[in-house]
Amino acid sequence: MTAVTPTSFAVPVDEITVARARAGDEAALEALFRSFEAPVYSLARRLTRSTHDAEDVLQETFLEVVRSIHRFRGDGSLAGWIRKVAVSKALMKLRRRRGSAFEETLPEDLSDDDLALGPYGPATSAAERVDLETALGRLSDVARVVIWLHDVEGYSHDEIAAMAGKTASFSKSQLARAHARLRELLAPGVREEPCT
Amino acid sequence: MHLSLEDLIAVRDGEARADSARHAASCPECIAELSRLRSLREALAALPDEPPSRDLWPVVKARATAERQHRIWIRVGWVAAGLAAVFTLLIGVRGAIEAYVEAKVARQAQALIAESQRLEQELHASERQGRVMSGRTAGTVVQLEDRIAYLDSRLSRAEGERFPSQEILGLWQERVRLLDALVSVEATGTTYVGL
Ligand SMILES: [Zn+2]
Repeated sequence: MTAVTPTSFAVPVDEITVARARAGDEAALEALFRSFEAPVYSLARRLTRSTHDAEDVLQETFLEVVRSIHRFRGDGSLAGWIRKVAVSKALMKLRRRRGSAFEETLPEDLSDDDLALGPYGPATSAAERVDLETALGRLSDVARVVIWLHDVEGYSHDEIAAMAGKTASFSKSQLARAHARLRELLAPGVREEPCT
Repeated sequence: MHLSLEDLIAVRDGEARADSARHAASCPECIAELSRLRSLREALAALPDEPPSRDLWPVVKARATAERQHRIWIRVGWVAAGLAAVFTLLIGVRGAIEAYVEAKVARQAQALIAESQRLEQELHASERQGRVMSGRTAGTVVQLEDRIAYLDSRLSRAEGERFPSQEILGLWQERVRLLDALVSVEATGTTYVGL
């Protein structure tokens, strides 16, 4: 795979903290929570598009971390493990939501305050960001999950297939469909919006 | 023929077949589409992270503590005994002098506590047999244990109360129900319980 911009999970965690957390040290566990709360929450929010579900995912992810970190071996990346736990908790939320009377979540309105918030990436203006957020909100759950996990988090189709209980070719075709839909939604000239 | 979106993505990700890669290197339209795909990926990655709006560490810590205590207790079968101690003592002393309703609630609580203890012992016995369970069954067990642990944290908060209230009674009822489900899951390997 080509290099993908490292996501916010690339948090430096020192070995001493990890060792202490593995031994059950509460301050060390809290330090880990502080390092990863924003990326875990953000990722969960991207995948579920619900602040409520994202809060649940954050809690459940760290309950799992507290429960299982003593079994975590130093050979893998801690961030990678935490991120994987978060993804699987978020997918579980989506599955459950669809099992019940699932209602399409409507994209949330972005207020002027949101527009004034930074920081924006170099290639993204505020207006483009709103377009992208809105467009993401209009994708189906599956399409959104696949494009986010693949294009942003850098998971391979095999990894996504394993996490979502699907095949790699399903992941590939969903990614292409997600891009087709995004292209449609973001196409210039389709939406008339004043330049701000 | 231009490349399909799926092929273009494969080219972008360095996973394309040789013929697709060759086409993508020379066709201006596909080159333009590729650069659009690349900048879209960058734009997605540049969307800002959002921190949670409230501090959830205290909740995680409380749940983890309740869970840990519960696991220790349930292994020795002391949970109901520990939670019940304060009530049984009070019931003993006050039973004769309390109003009818209060005494009735107390008797009901006592019965539920006894049932809780019996179910815990049963659970303890089946755990000792060391049954092998499927991942899904284990998941159901963890879910049930989580819910019981949550009830226990609420029950232990009520420790200071002088007498079991209706609310406490409801918690004990729920506890018996969950323990009952847990016993049947452990015994039969059921993966789904309608809760
Ligand atoms: Zn072409």
